[in-house]
Amino acid sequence: MTNDLDTKDFSAGDRARSRAYLREFWLGIAAYILVLVVVLVWGNMDGDSPWRFVWAVLPVIPALWIVRAILRHMQRVDDYQRLILLRGFAGGFAVAMIVSLTVAFLEIAGLRVPGVGWVIYGAGMLGWVVTGTVSARR
Amino acid sequence: MKNSLKVLREERGWTQGALADELGVSRQTVNALETGRYDPALPLAFRISRLFAQPIESIFTPPADAH
Repeated sequence: MTNDLDTKDFSAGDRARSRAYLREFWLGIAAYILVLVVVLVWGNMDGDSPWRFVWAVLPVIPALWIVRAILRHMQRVDDYQRLILLRGFAGGFAVAMIVSLTVAFLEIAGLRVPGVGWVIYGAGMLGWVVTGTVSARR
Repeated sequence: MKNSLKVLREERGWTQGALADELGVSRQTVNALETGRYDPALPLAFRISRLFAQPIESIFTPPADAH
């Protein structure tokens, strides 16, 4: 049975923690998009200069900022929320490992999968989101 | 583990969010505690005990088969 006291409103602490996390997270996303645009416009990815490899990995730098934001968020949240986050990470890691193992065996058999890194990345992210969501609702 | 957190909270007219702020945890965590999906670690259990001025064992009831 529910009553007026069983609202699903965020607490003041929830909002403060969420604001701090989103501020850092979106700063990282904005920097990532900015660097990505710069790389795509001036990186000369189709050229043959060896410098294009340096350009190609530049977006990883702001991505590290996003990882930092997530790690800092983990320090802010309580034990239960950290447990849910860690279950999500474990799910994403397991999916990414299984997919990369599958791809590796397929490659041994001669199959070439274009953009395989993105497939593994996407599978890992999906595993993270699904496991985190299921874990939070259990 | 069963607990009387919801009853104690409602006796004081607090929302889950208000209790969460008193304990320094999220509303989601208070909800998980009240529904028995999550058993608190000792530091949080002691905070709950202090907040409601009751011993831990009067708030939390171990399962019948616990030793």
